[in-house]
Amino acid sequence: MRRQIVNDPDQIVPEALEGLVLSHPQLLELNVEHRYVTRKSRASGKVGLVSGGGSGHEPLHAGFVGTGMLDVAVAGAIFASPTALQVLEATQAADSGRGVVQIVKNYTGDVLNFRIAGEISEDSSVQTEMVLVDDDLATDLGEESAGPGRRGTAATVIVEKICGAAAEEGADLQEVAELGRRVASRARTMSLALQAGTHPGDDEPQFELPADEVEFGVGIHGERGRSRESFRDADGLTALLTDPLLDALEMPRGTEVLAIVNGLGSTYPIELQLAARALHHRLADRGLSPARWLVGPYVTSLDMHGFSITLMPLDDELTRLWDAPVRTPGLTW
Amino acid sequence: MTSTDTSSSALPADFGEAWVAQMRTALTAGAAALGDLDRRAGDGDFGTNIRTAMKLVEKNLDEDSPSGYSATLTSFYRAWLGVGGTSGPLFGMLFRDLSKAGEGSGAPTITEFAEALANGLATVQRYGEAEVGDKTMVDALAPAAEALTSAAQSGDDPVAALGAAVDAARGGADATAETIARRGRASYVGDAAKGVMDPGAAAVVLILAAARSAAGGEESVETDWIG
Repeated sequence: MRRQIVNDPDQIVPEALEGLVLSHPQLLELNVEHRYVTRKSRASGKVGLVSGGGSGHEPLHAGFVGTGMLDVAVAGAIFASPTALQVLEATQAADSGRGVVQIVKNYTGDVLNFRIAGEISEDSSVQTEMVLVDDDLATDLGEESAGPGRRGTAATVIVEKICGAAAEEGADLQEVAELGRRVASRARTMSLALQAGTHPGDDEPQFELPADEVEFGVGIHGERGRSRESFRDADGLTALLTDPLLDALEMPRGTEVLAIVNGLGSTYPIELQLAARALHHRLADRGLSPARWLVGPYVTSLDMHGFSITLMPLDDELTRLWDAPVRTPGLTW
Repeated sequence: MTSTDTSSSALPADFGEAWVAQMRTALTAGAAALGDLDRRAGDGDFGTNIRTAMKLVEKNLDEDSPSGYSATLTSFYRAWLGVGGTSGPLFGMLFRDLSKAGEGSGAPTITEFAEALANGLATVQRYGEAEVGDKTMVDALAPAAEALTSAAQSGDDPVAALGAAVDAARGGADATAETIARRGRASYVGDAAKGVMDPGAAAVVLILAAARSAAGGEESVETDWIG
């Protein structure tokens, strides 16, 4: 029996949003009917930024609403897209006259509902641009693949931060969207799990793993991974994730890199520090310079025990925008 | 170019209100059977999604008190957009195009309604990426749109034209029982869906039969054929 800190499992999303907003009274406001979170002080005269998707990935997305990042985040049920109507209302709430960039993780339901919201928003003269985040290397089946393409995972945080900083500086709709697409195209992520997450109200995790194996290339909704690999120590697990990223990104020696060591839900902070150490050495060995870091739970999968590594080559513009001030529940500097 | 005889092609002034009322009755009556089809040939949530949509329709009609065809259909399409899954947004976008029929405050002509249905089909295909034969709502919608356009062009009265659309939709829906899905709900279950009619296609039949009733055809929409 898996015990959880829940009331009614069906009410976990509205109750969680309420808790987030009540505990950040200076920063956030909640629209109860359509389940979206906005900044307490709405921005004006800038490009709006809206994101959202299924719940269960906290602090993504509502935890990244605030100055220098999102204007609005809209929440679906656990691992399910918000409805088209929710996204429509959230998109329009993000507009202050200069259009709205929608940041969307690449999942069929999310893409469908954000596209519909974008199309209908034009009826009320709200211009929108969609930035699709598809950083998950495990689902990269090559250019010829007819499927839905790579999934969106932890690089969403980078896209939201960089686009947020650019919008705050006064960039226009096209500029913010192009920047987001540039970030999404050069960031890649790999994930692994030692144990799957458990849905609120469920007794069993989403899948079982033998004690001597890890799920390699796991998705953030408990989707099965690309393969099962043997369990190994922190340095070994970190290498397992890092090496395919380095092969895919082909960064020349001397490149400055943004690295995210992301906990997937129930990974201990001390475990992530070991992974960060191992990643630093692995990158340094290749002549790469890990110049900016996030280490912690940013894009989770309920209580999955595991971690992901995201790498993105930086340039002067991206570093400057990454360093720009941000004040949200999940990210502040 | 033939001129349109507006006296015989006009839908009743209260067509929007009557159609929405007929759809609410028919879809509520059919929800259990459609949900059962979806449990056999999909992911099982269609019955629940229809009930959710109908609850939202009731709420929207209460809050909006819409008057006239376009406003009534707008309240109806926005309810579908508040429903999860793929069927909610796709039906929502279908009805959004239908809400624009005629673009006036009054009821559209049957020709305008046929054009809107064809637009709705195109939108559903653009978002759903489904072709005829993929075992989706498109299998009923495409032949219905074609039959309605052709009947409207040859000057059939609205009840007869919508009757032709219902028959074409029913033929398309019946055929989905024999096909294997490449897109949509039934593509996840493969051969297990063989012999089972697509519930989205069946719902399209109910929607058009409701339009025929609202245009002055028979009183109520039959749902006992679903299964």
